Amino acid sequence: MTIFLQATAEGLALGAVYSLVAIGFVLIYKAMDVLSFAQPALAVVGAAFISALAVDRGFPFWISLLIGIILTGILSLLIERTFLRPMVGEPVFSVAILTIGIDILLRTVLDNWIGLNPRYLGDPFPTFGNFGSISIGGIVLKYLELSAFLTAVVVIVLLSIFFKRSKYGVAMRATSFDQEAALAQGIDVGKIFALVWFIAGMLASLAGFFITGGFNTLTQFSFISALRALPAVVIGGLDSIPGAVVGSLIIGLTQGYVAYFQPNLEGLIGFTLGSGFSLVAPYLIMFVILLIRPDGLFGTEEVERV
Amino acid sequence: MRGRPNLYTDYSKETAIFPNLTQKFWFFILLLFSFGLVFVASDYWILLLTTSFLIAVAAWGLNIISGFAGQISLAHGVFVGIGTYTASVLGGVATTYVIGYELDMIIWLPLSGLAAALIGLLIAPISVRLKGLNLGLVTLALVFIGSHLFSNLKFITGGAGLGRKAAKLVLLGFDFENGLQIGNLLLEKNQLIYILALIVCIFAGLGVKNLTRSKTGRAYSAIRDGDIAAEAIGINLFKFKSSAFALSSFYAGITGALMFSVSGGVEPGTFNLIYSVTFIAIVIIGGGGTVLGPLFGALFFSLMPGAIQTALHSFGSIGQGLALSLGQIERIIFGLFIILFLIFEPRGLWGIWFRLRNYFKAWPFSY
Repeated sequence: MTIFLQATAEGLALGAVYSLVAIGFVLIYKAMDVLSFAQPALAVVGAAFISALAVDRGFPFWISLLIGIILTGILSLLIERTFLRPMVGEPVFSVAILTIGIDILLRTVLDNWIGLNPRYLGDPFPTFGNFGSISIGGIVLKYLELSAFLTAVVVIVLLSIFFKRSKYGVAMRATSFDQEAALAQGIDVGKIFALVWFIAGMLASLAGFFITGGFNTLTQFSFISALRALPAVVIGGLDSIPGAVVGSLIIGLTQGYVAYFQPNLEGLIGFTLGSGFSLVAPYLIMFVILLIRPDGLFGTEEVERV
Repeated sequence: MRGRPNLYTDYSKETAIFPNLTQKFWFFILLLFSFGLVFVASDYWILLLTTSFLIAVAAWGLNIISGFAGQISLAHGVFVGIGTYTASVLGGVATTYVIGYELDMIIWLPLSGLAAALIGLLIAPISVRLKGLNLGLVTLALVFIGSHLFSNLKFITGGAGLGRKAAKLVLLGFDFENGLQIGNLLLEKNQLIYILALIVCIFAGLGVKNLTRSKTGRAYSAIRDGDIAAEAIGINLFKFKSSAFALSSFYAGITGALMFSVSGGVEPGTFNLIYSVTFIAIVIIGGGGTVLGPLFGALFFSLMPGAIQTALHSFGSIGQGLALSLGQIERIIFGLFIILFLIFEPRGLWGIWFRLRNYFKAWPFSY
C-alpha cells in the first residue's frame, strides 16, 4: 500500500509538471492552430537561463528564477514574431515541422552550452534544502515534487481567473473561437498571439525548472522529459485546457505506477517489457487513445467539410 | 515534330520518363559523370556521395507517403531501422550475444525491404482511421515505441550503447571487402559500395518517376488533395493508403539495409526522433511531392558536412576559434534551412532549380 501511495504521489507531482508544459501547448494550439514542438526546448532553455544566472553568475535564486522565466517568455514571443507570424494560414503540419526546426536550433545552441556535465539549478531555500524530502507515513515526498504540485495548482487557478475575468483573457478566448470575428470586434489578434506565446514560454520555463531542479539536473537529454507533455495534450485533446491537465495527470500517474509496478506487471503478462518502459508507456497510451478517440478525451470533434 | 521538343501530340509522349532529347542527353551525361566520379573523387567525398544516394532512396520513400499521398509519417526512421536489423540479422555475423546468418546480399537486400513494407502494411490501417496531425502524432508514438524495442531486443540489435555489426556485403559470393580487379584497375570496397548505392539510387528514382506516371500515383495525388473527394470518385482509400505505406517503408528498408554496411556498425540509439525528422527535413528542403526534390535534399544534407569542412579549412585558423563544433554548425544550418525553406520557398530546392531552369530556357527574354 505504501508503495502504491508513493507511486501515486510521485505520479501526481510529475503530472503537475507536465500540465504546465501541456497548458502552453494547448494555449498555442487554440489561438493559432499550431502544434509547437518547440515547447520542450523552451522548457530546457528556461532551466538553462535559471542555472546560468543562479549558479554561474551567483545571483540570488529567486531573482534568477524570475528573470529566467521572463527571458524565456520574451524568447518565445520573439520566436512567434519572427518565424511563426509569416506562417499564419499555412497547413498545420508545415508549421509543426517549422517548430521542429526551431527546436533543433534552440537545442543545438543549448547543448553546446550545457556540455557533457550535468548542471544544477540552485537552491531556493539554502537553509531548508530544495534537495531535501519529507516523510509522511512512510511516503517520501521531495520538496521539489510538493512545490511542483502546489505551483501547478496556483498557476492553473490564476490562469482560469485570467481567462474568465481579464480583458486580455476574454480577448484570447474570442481569438481562439474565431480569428476573423475577433479581428472585426477590434481585437488585435497579433498582440494576442504574442501574449499567448509569452505565457506559454513562461509556463514552459517554470516546468523546465521542476523537471531539471534538485537532483534531476539539466543535461542534454532533459528535453525528452518535457516532450512527454505532448502525449498528455493529445490524450486530453489538443484544444482543451482541462483536458491538458487531466491528460498530464494520467501520463504522470502511468509513469509513476509503471516505474514501481513493472515487475508485477511483467509477472502478470509473462514477458519482460524492457528497461525504461515507464518512459515509453505514455506514448503507448497516446497511441491507443488516438485510435479510440482521435480528438482526445476532451477535445472538440473536428468537422470536415468537403 | 522535329525542332519543337515541347510540342506533345499524345499523352504517352508527354508522360514519358524523358520526354525530349535534351533530357535524355543530360541524363546520360549525368550518368557518365556519376560513374566517372568513382575514379576521381577522394575517399571522403565518395563516402559522402554514397550516403547521400542511400539517404535519397529513403527520402523518396517518405516522399511517396507524405509528398504524393499526403499522409504524414514521423516514423520513417523506424522503418529504416527495421530494414537495417533485418539485413543485419540475415547478412550479419553471429556473435555470442547477437544472432546472424551470413546470407548473401541477393537474399537480404530484398527481404529487408519487404520486412519494412510488411510492418508498414500493419501500420497502414491507422492512416485510414486518422488524418492529418493526429496521424503524425500516432507515428510519433511509433518512434518512441520503436526505439524502445530496438534498444531492448538485445539478441537482434546488441542493445543500447553497444550496437552490432551491420550486414556483410557479399553479392553472389563476391565479397566487397576484397575489392575488384579489372585489368590493372583496382576498385576498393568504398568505390564498390559507391557504385552499388548509385545503381540502387537510379532504380529507386526511376521507380518513383514511374509511380507518378501510373494510375496508382494519380490515385495518391487525389488522396493528398482531398481524401473524401478521392473516395467519391471511386478510389479505394484503404487499398491505396496501405500500398503507399508499404512502398514508402520498402524504400526505407532498402536504405536501412545498405546504409550501415557502409560504416560497418549500428547502434539502436541511432533511430531516434531526430533521425526520423531528418528525413522530413530532407524532403522539405529538397521539395516535397516532386521526383527530383528528395534527391536534391539528400545531396544537400549529406554533402553539407564536406562543404562546411572545406570552408572551415579555407578560413584556416579562424575556423579553429569557433565556439561550435562541426556537427553543431551542421545542425544549426540544417534547422535554419528547414525554417527558411518553409517560410520562403515551400517547394524547396526543386522550386529554386525549376525557376532557374525556366529563366535560362527563356533567356534573354523574361518569359
